[in-house]
Amino acid sequence: MSPSTSGPAGRAAAGGGAAEALLEASHLVQEFVVRDYGGVKGGVVHAVSDVSLRIWPGETLGIVGETGSGKSTLARSLLQAPPPKSGAVIFQGQDLVGLRRRELLDTRRHLQMVFQDPFGSLDPTWRVADIIEEPLTAYRIGDRAARRRRVREVLDLVGLDPAQYGRRRPRELSGGQAQRVAIARAVALSPALIICDEAVSSLDVLIQAQVLNLFERLRGELGLSYLFIAHDLALVKQVSDRVAVMYLGKLCEAGPAESIYQAPLHPYTRALLDSIPSPDPEAARKPAGAAIRGEPPSPIHPPSGCRFRTRCPRAQDRCAAEEPLMRELGGGQSVACHFPLSRPAQPAAQVAGQTERS
Amino acid sequence: MSTGSGPGAGHGGIGGSTALLDVRDLSVRFQRRGREALAVNSVTFTVQPRQTLAIVGESGSGKTVSCRAVMGLLPPAAQVTGSARFQGRELIGLSDADIRQHCGRDVAMVFQDPARSLNPTMRVGTQVTEAIRAHQPVSRRDARDRAIELMSLVRIPLPDRRFADYPHQFSGGMRQRLMIAIALACHPRLLIADEATTSLDVTTQAQIMDLLLDLQAQLGMALILISHDLGLAAAYTDDVIVMYAGGIVEQAPTRQLFSHVRMPYTQALLEAVPQLDRPAHSPLPVIGGRPPDPGAPLAGCPFAPRCPRARERCREDAPPLAEQEPGHYWACWFPCQDGGPG
Amino acid sequence: MATQLPDTLPPGGAPVPVSAPARRARRWTVDPEIVIPAAVLLVIIGACFVWPLVGPVPPPVGGSILNAGLPPFSPGHIFGTDPVGNDIFSRILYGGRVSIEVGLATQLIGIAVGGTVGCIAGYRGGVTDTAVMRVVDVLIAFPALVLALAIADGLGPSEVHVIWALSFFSIPAFARISRAATLRLQGQTFMLAARLSGTRGWRILLRHVAPNIMPQLVTFGLLGMGVAIILEGALSFLGLGIPDPGPSWGNMIALGQGTLSASPALVLIPSVFLFATVLSLNLLGDGLRAHWGAR
Repeated sequence: MSPSTSGPAGRAAAGGGAAEALLEASHLVQEFVVRDYGGVKGGVVHAVSDVSLRIWPGETLGIVGETGSGKSTLARSLLQAPPPKSGAVIFQGQDLVGLRRRELLDTRRHLQMVFQDPFGSLDPTWRVADIIEEPLTAYRIGDRAARRRRVREVLDLVGLDPAQYGRRRPRELSGGQAQRVAIARAVALSPALIICDEAVSSLDVLIQAQVLNLFERLRGELGLSYLFIAHDLALVKQVSDRVAVMYLGKLCEAGPAESIYQAPLHPYTRALLDSIPSPDPEAARKPAGAAIRGEPPSPIHPPSGCRFRTRCPRAQDRCAAEEPLMRELGGGQSVACHFPLSRPAQPAAQVAGQTERS
Repeated sequence: MSTGSGPGAGHGGIGGSTALLDVRDLSVRFQRRGREALAVNSVTFTVQPRQTLAIVGESGSGKTVSCRAVMGLLPPAAQVTGSARFQGRELIGLSDADIRQHCGRDVAMVFQDPARSLNPTMRVGTQVTEAIRAHQPVSRRDARDRAIELMSLVRIPLPDRRFADYPHQFSGGMRQRLMIAIALACHPRLLIADEATTSLDVTTQAQIMDLLLDLQAQLGMALILISHDLGLAAAYTDDVIVMYAGGIVEQAPTRQLFSHVRMPYTQALLEAVPQLDRPAHSPLPVIGGRPPDPGAPLAGCPFAPRCPRARERCREDAPPLAEQEPGHYWACWFPCQDGGPG
Repeated sequence: MATQLPDTLPPGGAPVPVSAPARRARRWTVDPEIVIPAAVLLVIIGACFVWPLVGPVPPPVGGSILNAGLPPFSPGHIFGTDPVGNDIFSRILYGGRVSIEVGLATQLIGIAVGGTVGCIAGYRGGVTDTAVMRVVDVLIAFPALVLALAIADGLGPSEVHVIWALSFFSIPAFARISRAATLRLQGQTFMLAARLSGTRGWRILLRHVAPNIMPQLVTFGLLGMGVAIILEGALSFLGLGIPDPGPSWGNMIALGQGTLSASPALVLIPSVFLFATVLSLNLLGDGLRAHWGAR
């Protein structure tokens, strides 16, 4: 079953009229074979197991997960780099899985990505203007002059002066500037959806705030949708309309951002929230033992039934025997748990400014 | 080991003559392509026994470089001036042999990336015993016993079985615990955790922080937490030092700092961090620009070009770090008034 | 979770803003480690290729027996003459041409053929990679000297044949290096970003992979040039390289060894030039690697 599809913010942002999801992923599965010495098959990493989600036009879907959750693998599977082992990825009405290279390129034009390491995603031997022009050249947009104009346009859009930055190479840029160049490149083709894979995690706090504001501004000015992936919940909540939580390759919970944080349904979400050190020194320090136990299991041998059960304070026999499926519990929230925490947040509680935390 | 009381009193910083670590006017200069860069600019602070201190700042603020200068871990190209006394004993300018003596024994450090701090080709048990035997003349069997003791102290399950494992067989959190075990090998009086939880998941971070604080209480250590994460500082420490552009710009007891922020820079940091209780899509208050180039120091306050409260005086005259309220130091001509963070 | 990148400029980076000419000038006013060996090489190459065209250099062959065996610093023959009467200085210069031509040619062929093949193998992976690399392995497994002997024996000794024989080894060596460098590059995010931008494979190889692996190939090529020159020397010494009387540093040493005690200069002088050239190539290769690596 797919998680909540009727995110109220998403629908509202889409103008209430859009009937079709911009991106719909169904039952995605991605696995990697781990080879021992000598090339012998050592095991299979179940990086993404049966994940389904939808992104509506104009909305930002945030995905939160820690190491090993599979969130980055999920992002790459959506882009078919490499294609998932099974499942469908329907983008703007067309299934990307199994497309031939030429058709894939055509269809994927409006789907772009910004990566975590700003310098790693820019070729060190290229100049900034060429880096941004590359997708335009590949898709044969206009002639040389038109492309150059577009490059200047997007550089302005991300706040970099084309005259000053166009001829620089990545090593002459700072981290924030390099990430802006990466964003400019992603925006050059006027995409509909941008996947941000930990796009601000490597940046200093103040620069991170600048880049986040840039994302928001572009969202408004260009009508973009985002899939925003991060391990920092506060960060994800800052930019997202809806949030999905991943653990060890599976979705635990999904729903409107505000609801997730005020009334988390899944024990893992609760543990994540409790683990965040609060900048309020008056708040009592909660011992981590109450929130979550033990170490994350290996994705090669995930636990039977519910994958979180080995660390869950509420686990019972049923959790080992039967895998919980995602089910909607109202208020736009879905959860995959046999014993969810509480009732979903009431719609009235989603008014901004509500400061009570459960 | 007693804490001892050495000379170096009367500086008037946090604490007094019984300071465990007394750093005064510590400066570090690097030569880069013919230009001199001032990485740490006249930093002064003290650490008391059993105190938990956070040093907070962004990259380039000098927080790591200053602590490495104290540990003697900087490359020879670095010019270190000033004084850092540990229990009265001067650490700056020690010979390599003396540094090896005190580094790891009196003061130990845990680094950011456990994957790279552990030797992947060596069994973990050996790495712990190596740390033990570097400072104490113990037999191999005694060292092994002690190592297993340390591994269980840092809550590694089944330490005697895992003694012979290799680092890649451990998760990130477990590797960091191993690093802590190695650091604790010789009962240091002071443990410096340099972004020790930055590469870890938030759930693992909470576990490791709990561990560190429990160990601190158990072993009577002082703890310095170097981080860019203000939340971490707020939740786990007694006192906070905020650094910017190589110098200390604000320092205070944690509660005091977060409820009465004074430095506009600290205020900016607090406001720029996404908070859970803010609604989605709210714009983050943002400070433009970048920290100054360490090779081209400015006259006046280093934060002035970016500061929303800056005036003429700030650009001309660098404000000194002074105790403006009891226990609360800041370096600003026009500090923020009360209103708390955000 | 990741390291924080400062939003100041990276260490050692050019200060902002820097005019373009200043930036270009800065790049070359660099290490003595690069400038000195480069200067020595330029002098040697200039001497071998340019000097005979402009200066008074007697021909390297066809000397009169009346001039035989002159010692160094004789009038008109700064290095003296060999037992047949040829001017040694002239033979050094012309012999140098051969050595340098052989060294350069084998490396250029290696980069062009081996570099390309390795790059494609590394990029495409899978069956292409396996097939290509097994062929390369076979080539590398050939015993070097035996093959050169065979070629020289079969085809007759000449400069061109020496180049072919030595290319037989430079090609697989470059293929290996280039493949390894390409594989390392594959892990970089910008390669994925280029593919996602829609750039086609061959264009990625040409515009992204090649510029990034070129520093490594060039460094390897400089070191390889030294090796090729020595191998040519060895082949000529064995009589399988440049045939008599055409000079090469190798066969000068071979000819000179018969009269080693009587006139050691005949062996020493070409040896010194061989040594200086190869050493400069090695130092230049090391210097460039350090310079590029540091950036």
